[in-house]
Amino acid sequence: MSVSKSKVTNSILKSEKKSLYRFLALYITMITFLMLVLGSYYFSTQKQIMLAKQRATLSKYAYEQTKKLKALHHYFPEERTYPRDDRFKSAIYDMDFIKIFSLLEQKDIKFDKDIYLKNGYIHFVKILDNYYLGAKYLIIETEDSGVWLEVIYKKMAIYSLISFILFVSLGIFLAKLFIKPMRDSIMLLDRFIKDTTHELNTPLSTILANIEMMDKEVMAPKNIKKLDRINSAAKSVSVLYKDLTYITLEHNRSNEDEDINLQELIKQRVEYFDALAHSKQITFKLELSYSTIHIDKNKITRVIDNLISNAIKYNKRGGYIKLTTKEHFFSIEDSGIGIAKEKLPYMFDRYMRFDNSEGGFGIGLSIVKNITKEYNIKIETTSTLGKGTRIVLTW
Amino acid sequence: MVKKFVIVCLLIVSLSGNDIFDNRCVPCHKDLPTSLQQMFMQYLKLYSSQKNVKYVLKYYLKHPSKELSAMSDLFIDVYGIKNPTKLSDKELKQAIDIYWDRYKVIDKLK
Repeated sequence: MSVSKSKVTNSILKSEKKSLYRFLALYITMITFLMLVLGSYYFSTQKQIMLAKQRATLSKYAYEQTKKLKALHHYFPEERTYPRDDRFKSAIYDMDFIKIFSLLEQKDIKFDKDIYLKNGYIHFVKILDNYYLGAKYLIIETEDSGVWLEVIYKKMAIYSLISFILFVSLGIFLAKLFIKPMRDSIMLLDRFIKDTTHELNTPLSTILANIEMMDKEVMAPKNIKKLDRINSAAKSVSVLYKDLTYITLEHNRSNEDEDINLQELIKQRVEYFDALAHSKQITFKLELSYSTIHIDKNKITRVIDNLISNAIKYNKRGGYIKLTTKEHFFSIEDSGIGIAKEKLPYMFDRYMRFDNSEGGFGIGLSIVKNITKEYNIKIETTSTLGKGTRIVLTW
Repeated sequence: MVKKFVIVCLLIVSLSGNDIFDNRCVPCHKDLPTSLQQMFMQYLKLYSSQKNVKYVLKYYLKHPSKELSAMSDLFIDVYGIKNPTKLSDKELKQAIDIYWDRYKVIDKLK
């Protein structure tokens, strides 16, 4: 199914981004590890090839040196000068690995190896059949030019870079492929919300207007209670409608910022939600001091409405909601179900809902986050599971 | 009088520099065509290290046999196998140590 992108879903969700980064981090770590293993295998193979090429030459040197040692053995002690050669350096050791004589630059010898490279020197270890001068081990040493190493490093760097780019491209392609169904679902939901929002306005306005117009004085108490319930439900839907309208239509319009008396605005919104709170026997505790904020009135109303609406929705029956305003400060505290500490970072993500027992689309706090971010308002959330949540806004 | 004689004898021995190797080994070898140095090199060629050479020499001197000897068959056929040593273990060790130090290759090459 193809779904057209809306402006809202063009940007990847935070959780989506996190999943993508995690996948890529894991993928790149694995690829790097694999490349390191392959690289070290390639390096060790190339080193063995180089040593194999050197072996024939060094073996010839060892044969020549053995013949000279044989002669020295025969003429010792009259002749005591150890045979030297410009092409290589050598040493002789007895069967207990005790040095008899050595001209080597690299003193550390691995007697258990036939040929090896260490600190830029190649050692060829020859075990003699006859221990001339007591020598069982003849070590031939030549300096390694390092040319082969440069060639290998160059090749490895090029291959690694090409492989890395290829694998990372493949990783991004795969990640996008995996995320596509999720993105499609979100876009479909967005489209649906946008299309249906327009259809909600007229019936909702009619319901709310008619409730206001009803004369409660002539109604039976039983019917007044029923009307209050209808009023609460209609207001809940109204909040949702306003959120949807804000997301789909209004958030792109230009701001009309003004100085808002927060104290007064909160009083109005509390009055608006009073019927809804009353239905759950929730009481409002207000500690309101004079506070102002320079902001678009519609936007700050969305912030306050969503915070109060959430505090009612996730509160327990008979609980409370405490609202406090001070200069550059607003806090809302509820006695609700609370949020687990590990889930706190995601609570402002769009479509994120922690409790499925309550209705809603999970877009309210996402709107709060977007508006506060736009106006550089700092949000701090503290929550304890089973005790409640406190959200503090400072600016 | 006896005391003076003993002191003089000891003085002569110490001044002459003769040790157990010179006194008990060299005299028997001086009539052989192969020098002690050549014999040493023969043992070195077969047994390599100081520890190994000394061990084999000690065993051979106590239990001489054709199989253990480093010398050629021709040499053994002509001059035979020596008799087992009468030196004590301590004396034998001293003699072999002197033999090694005198003819060794290590520290003599340049």
